[in-house]
Order: sequence, then C-alpha cells, then structure tokens
Amino acid sequence: MPDDVPPGPFPGSAAAPARAAGDGLATLSVVIDGTQVHAAPGETLLQAARRAGVTIPTLCHDERLAPTGACRMCLVESSDSRRMVPACRHPVAEGLEVVTDSARVHRHRQSLLSLYAADAPEGVKPGTELDRHMRTYGLEPGLPQVNAPREGRPDDDNKYVLFQPESCILCARCTRYCDEVEAVAAITLAERGSATTIATADNVSLLDSTCELCGGCIDTCPTGALVERKVAHRQDTFPSLKPVRTTCNYCGVGCQFDLQVDPAANQVVRVTSPAPGTTTNDGNLCVKGRFAYGFIGHPERLTEPLIRDASGELVPTDWDTALQRAADLLTGVRDKFGKDTLGFISSSRCTNEENYLVQKLARAAFGTNNCHQCAAT
Amino acid sequence: MKIHRMHDEPRRREEDRLRLLPAFDAAGGLRPGAAKVVSDATGVPEATAYGVASFYHLLARPDVDVRVCTGLSCRMAGADAALSALQRGGAAVEGCACLGQCDRAPAALQTDPGGGGHFTPLQARRSEAAAAGAGQGAEVWTLAPYGAPHLTPDDAELAINLAGADDLSWAALAQARVEGADAVLQKVDDAKLRGRGGAGFPAGFKWRAVARNADRDPVVICNADEGEPGTFKDREVMAQRPHLMLEGMAIAAHAVGASELVIYLRAEFKAPREALLAAIASARAAGHLDGLSVELALGHGAYICGEETALLEALEGRRGMPRHKPPFPTDSGYLGRPTLMNNVETFACIPAIVRRGGAWFAGLGAGDASGTKLYPISGDVARPGVYELPLGASFETLLAAAGGVTGGALLAFSPGGASSGLLPASMADIALDFGPLQEAGSMLGSAGVVVLNDTRDPLAATLTRARFFREESCGQCAPCRVGTQVLVRLLERMQAAVAAGEALSDSDRAALERVSWQMEEGSICGLGQAAPIPVKHLLRWFT
Repeated sequence: MPDDVPPGPFPGSAAAPARAAGDGLATLSVVIDGTQVHAAPGETLLQAARRAGVTIPTLCHDERLAPTGACRMCLVESSDSRRMVPACRHPVAEGLEVVTDSARVHRHRQSLLSLYAADAPEGVKPGTELDRHMRTYGLEPGLPQVNAPREGRPDDDNKYVLFQPESCILCARCTRYCDEVEAVAAITLAERGSATTIATADNVSLLDSTCELCGGCIDTCPTGALVERKVAHRQDTFPSLKPVRTTCNYCGVGCQFDLQVDPAANQVVRVTSPAPGTTTNDGNLCVKGRFAYGFIGHPERLTEPLIRDASGELVPTDWDTALQRAADLLTGVRDKFGKDTLGFISSSRCTNEENYLVQKLARAAFGTNNCHQCAAT
Repeated sequence: MKIHRMHDEPRRREEDRLRLLPAFDAAGGLRPGAAKVVSDATGVPEATAYGVASFYHLLARPDVDVRVCTGLSCRMAGADAALSALQRGGAAVEGCACLGQCDRAPAALQTDPGGGGHFTPLQARRSEAAAAGAGQGAEVWTLAPYGAPHLTPDDAELAINLAGADDLSWAALAQARVEGADAVLQKVDDAKLRGRGGAGFPAGFKWRAVARNADRDPVVICNADEGEPGTFKDREVMAQRPHLMLEGMAIAAHAVGASELVIYLRAEFKAPREALLAAIASARAAGHLDGLSVELALGHGAYICGEETALLEALEGRRGMPRHKPPFPTDSGYLGRPTLMNNVETFACIPAIVRRGGAWFAGLGAGDASGTKLYPISGDVARPGVYELPLGASFETLLAAAGGVTGGALLAFSPGGASSGLLPASMADIALDFGPLQEAGSMLGSAGVVVLNDTRDPLAATLTRARFFREESCGQCAPCRVGTQVLVRLLERMQAAVAAGEALSDSDRAALERVSWQMEEGSICGLGQAAPIPVKHLLRWFT
C-alpha cells in the first residue's frame, strides 16, 4: 500500500474530504472572490472554494467520480485562463485569482441553464439539482424548445430502474458511477451529438445486462431522468417525502439508508442512501436495500405469532404460548432421537446479537454444535 | 509454458483497448452481438464497447450500402436529388457529412462488398437519357468513378508541388540527420511555419515543446482525418505525394526524439490509404524508416476526431470526445506520452524547409505570410481542385486559378471550412491568411473555399452548415450539443419568416445572440465555440 494515502473517516472512500488547510500540506495560496484560501497541490478550484464556503454550482460532479467538466455548470473565471474554466477539474496554482460571482459568470449560469431548459421538452423535475440551480440562478427569456432525437430503452420492462431520456442532460454521472464505483459498466453513453443517450449494450433490458440493480444511478442522477419505476408516477411528490434514517438488516455490512416516507399515508415510497462520505456505505446501496422494502406495509406481513391448531391450520396466538409450543416440540425431538438430530439455522437478516443467542440456544440449551447462519458461507 | 504475471495485466488491457475499433471492423460493424464479441476479445466491458462503436457512424450503421455527401458543395451540385433518386433504387442509401470530395460533387461513398472498414468513393451523376425515358420528371442518378483532380501544374519552386514527382531518395531526412535535431528545429522556426490543419499554431513552438520532453518517449502523429467541409487538400497530398508527408514525419521524429509514427487517416479516403501503404512499404524497403515504427490507424466516421484531443481518444479506443486542455498533447497526449501532432500538409512542408532553408520557405508567402498554401476550392467554379498559392493570396487570385465563377456572378464565398461562414462578393480581395480573415470575423481554418454564385441562397447554405454541426457535435457538453440544435431551430424559423416575406423577429434575433454567446463561452472545444460564426455572418451581410 502506498504510504501517501491520507487517514480519513472512511479510508478508501472517494468522498473522504480533502485535507484542510493547516495540516502541513496546504502549501498554496489562492484568492477566491477576494478571499485568500490555502490549498494543497493537486486540489481543484472547486475543493478550495467549498472549503472557503464559496458555493459553485455543479451538475456532473460527484465526489466519488473522476471529474469530467462536461456539464459546464461550474465554469468560473481564473487568472490563468482567458476562457472560463471548470472549477471541478481545474487545478489550484500559487497566486491564482478566481472569480465566481462576476457578471460574466452569472450570465453564463443563466444562459447555460436556459439551454438545459430548452432541451427539457417535458419540463424539469421538481426538487432535483437541476431544478434547484434554475431557481437559484434564473433563466434567460425565450429560447425555442428543441426536440433531440435521443432514445431510451422503450422495450426495457425491468421493474426497478426507469430511464426517461427527455429529462437527461447527459452528465454521465450514472455511467461513470456504474463503471468507477460499482465496476459494473452496465450502461454507457451511446450515439453522439443530439442523439447522445444512455444505453446498455445492444439496448437490452437492464435485466439482460451486467446491471446488478443497485440503483446507484438513480441516486446520483441530478435531473430525475433515472427513477424507481414503481414510483415514477409520484416523482413530482418526492420533495415532500420525509427521510427516516435506519440501518439495513439484509446483511451484516450495516448500510444506513433513508426511508423516504409519505407522511400523510405513513408509507415508505422509496429508499435512498445518505450522502457519500457520511456513512459506512458511502452513498451506495444494493438491490435488496434499495428495492426490497415492499414487505414493510405488505398486507400479508406477519405481525403476530401463529401456531397450528388440531386441524393443522395456522391460528394467531400469544408469544408465551408460541414459545412454549416450540420448546416442547424441540425438547421432544432431542429426548427421543438425541441432541445432534437437532440443527439451528439463523438468518443473515438477524443482528449479531440475535445470531449469538441462536448459537447459545443450540449449544447451552440443547447441547449441540449444529448451528449455522447463512452469511457464514 | 506461458507464465501469466499479474503485473502484466494493466499493460495488456491498455493494448487490448487500442484494438477496440479495429475489432469492430473485423466484426462487421456494430451489429447485434458484436459488442459481446469485441468485449470478449479486448476485455473492455460490453456496454462500454457498444458506446464507443455507436459514436462512429461508419461502425454504427453497418448496413448502409451508399452514403451521399450532404455538404454544401455537394448539395449545390444536386446531392439532394441524387440521394432521393438512389434511395428510390432500393439500396440502403443515406446522407452523410462532408466526404472530402467537394471537387467531385455530388460525392458518394460505397461500402465495399467485403466490409471490414473498406469503402470506395464515387461520384453521383444524373443520367440524362434514363431521365427522359423514366418520365414524370423522376431523375435517375448513377454512381461512377471520378476523373483526375485539378491541381496547380508542376513547379519546383512550390513548397509541396502536388503535381511533382515524389522524391524517393528522402534526401531531406538524410540532410536532417547530418545537420542534427537542433538545426532542424531552427529551420522550422525560421520558416515561420504555421500549422495547416486549421488553428495556425506555430509549428516550431510545438516541436520545441515536444523536444523538451524527449526523455519521455514522445510519439509523432499525423492528423489525416481531413473532414472539414469544403476541404480536400490533405487527400491530394497523400494521394500524390505520400513520401513527402512520411518524410516530413520522419524528420519530425528525428527532431523531437521520437521513434513511433502514427497516421490517423479517415477511412473514407481510399486512394490516399493505398498510396500511403505503398509508400510506407517502399520507404521501409529502402531503409528510410529504420528505427521508426509506423502505424496507419483508420477513422470510423466522426468529424470531431479531426480535433486533436478527440483524435487521441479515438486512437485509444474511446468515444471521440475532446479532452480538456491543459494538459496539452505536447506534454500528455497519446497514452499520456508527449505527442507531436501536425496536419498532413504541415508535415509535407518540412522536407522543402530542411532542403532549402527556413528563410526560403518564409519568403514564399504573400506579404508577411510564410510559405505556400494548398487551397482546395469547390462550388460554383469552373475547375474545382487544389491550388498551391502563396499563403495570403487573395480570394480573387484563387478564384482565377480555378477558372472563375460559373452559373452567375459571384455572390459569396466561404473562405475556410464550415465555421468560417460566408463572406460577401465585395470582400473578394481579402487575403486568404490567418490574420486578415480573423480580423474580418472569419477564419482561414483549413482553407477549404466554397464559392456561391448569385442564384444561391445564403440562408440555405448557412442552414446546411448549422445542420452539419448539429450532426457532428460529439454531444459531450450542452453548449454545443443543445446550442447547435437551437441554432438550426432559429434558422428554420428564419427560413419560414423569409418565405412569408417577413424578417426574423427581434426576439429570435436576440435568442440567436444569446445562444451564440453561450456556445462561444461554454463549449469545451472549437466545434461549439465556432459554430455560431456562420449565423453571425448571415445576419451581418446577407439580411
């Protein structure tokens, strides 16, 4: 392992914050909007500005991904260039003077966003990064709408991820996330010019591609072009959902996620990951964490213990009765056939503590070492 | 037994990636399943491979039999009629961007029966007899081989001299080796040679920047992806004087300390490809290329790959999307190595500069300009062709060399490719040089000149070129990808307004101004930055 990897809250996390000034590495000094800011060699203007509390809007930027500078949202004036430069990938240099609030930069933001608006025939999804920028910086009047010939995958009937090409700005965060973070590369920029779109190989369904349905593309999309198919019809209400932070118990990693709850219906509408760099899962989820939440409000969900009556039908009962029945039958088997005819299998959805108790039950109460848990393999 | 070592892996993957586009050629283009085959062969993920191939039109549409050029000169010569007539004939025929055969308009490109990235350029011709027989005004067009090009006659005092015989002795390379790298660099400086690809960057400056990186295994690349509408000069250099260009590259390699030559040639150029392959073989046999590797890489149908960093992306097996600069290719280009990239014509100037000196070359230009320049001219002229004149010769001089205007009086001319716009006849005395054209709000660019007589519609011509930019934008950044669409939309509105006897509305005129500002300020590369220029010219001189 190279010895120049800085320690951080989540080593290896692409979102681990750049080292701040004062730690011995910030050897450069730049001036951003008149304020002197210390920066480390290799840092970008965007990193230095954010640390100085200067807001520079971005669209194609995701801390976990190599910057591309493609969306042009973060262009600022820099004393080392006649042209405006993308702050997300422009390196700091000693003595650089950077201006992010000039009339030129402001005009650029408005006119760029106006182009994005002209290219959004169905309008902009509320609450998305693109929508927020448009509300913050405003639009210029009156460009004609264009009708780009970009295509989605109309025949892709996977039940999880829906791509809406008319809302896509081709920032390629989804394709880069899929490649650089997940190392799956199921999706790609395809075609070119006005026909550029997001595609799978041969435009097959995501289910027939290498896609693992982690849904990270949905989380990173700044325009809502990617959305959970099941709730796509409710997309405009997403800003009104209330996040409820919880820990996933599908496996032992301990991913945090936010259940996005419709407060009126007390219903989980979708599941999102907390921001990259803030929790163990670093902005990522898997197919189970993101999509397997239907059981929460499912009408067939078990909410009380059931035991079989004399006719073999399952009937509701109380916990004491149910546990007594299980104890009676298990000790009956042990007494009649021997302790090692019993085996105990617990679930990876149980917590460590629950799994500990299951093996203790097997060993201490029944005297057998026949215990297993599916995550052990 | 082959021992597989883990640390070979990154290197192997890099080399495999370089085979991506040729592997699609071998697979017959982007057919269903081809991405899987190529992915298996190269280790590049299937979707990524698909995304790369879909970028390049020659790969993405493998079943097209014939492509008809929809460039300005070809449309003026009847390309629209040829396209529809050929489409009625039943074959898979579609329009395409400039084929670099504006002197053979309307030009067409036929896919060779074996495929594999091989194509044959042809000329579409209206068959008068068949048309009379067909009745109802239905035109019949056929495809035929084209004739010999119009060139400036043999003259040993020209720097390139297309009509001259190639010098098989490679005496200039021998001289350069004797005189040494520093002397060559000095001669290129003295020649005041400006790059002939479009930007006009001083070649000596670029060469010295690469020579300073000689310890990092530099590579010399020839940009032979000539795709600028109206431009076909490099085609003739390679077809007529392939040794001149190769010798220029070899001299450059000597000057900057490189041992690897790469030529990126557009696949639409059949005769240049054959001439280059023959010249490489004969130069290799003669020992001229000792110590040098030469690779001929083919384009796959993308105008933007003439932009140097997009070209590098294509060479590396990626979508041809321009890179951000800095770093400049002279520091970090092909595979991160220092890269000297020049245009075909630029390299072809080098042997004469070495043999006869930088001062001799500098003295060839008109006024302050340096050297002779190849000017391809097409459109409404008597002898469309490639004429070598002093750099800075006036448009009138070039027009005279090409036999003057046909079909009417001079209305307008486009001095240097799609983004140079149209200049009015009143400016016919302008010097075709970098500075004067830039001062006039235009550009010399690749010097591909197109002439319009007074029966032509400047608005229609501008719309043709706006559509070209829309189709050929790489799509990476919104100012260009969306801006080119907005420009087309506004020009179409303008066309409708003119048809109704009205002027462009003030709000549309303001919208044109706003979108142009954003394209110039916000676009990553020159395509988007320069695409609004023709519209500005239209508003300034022709409305």
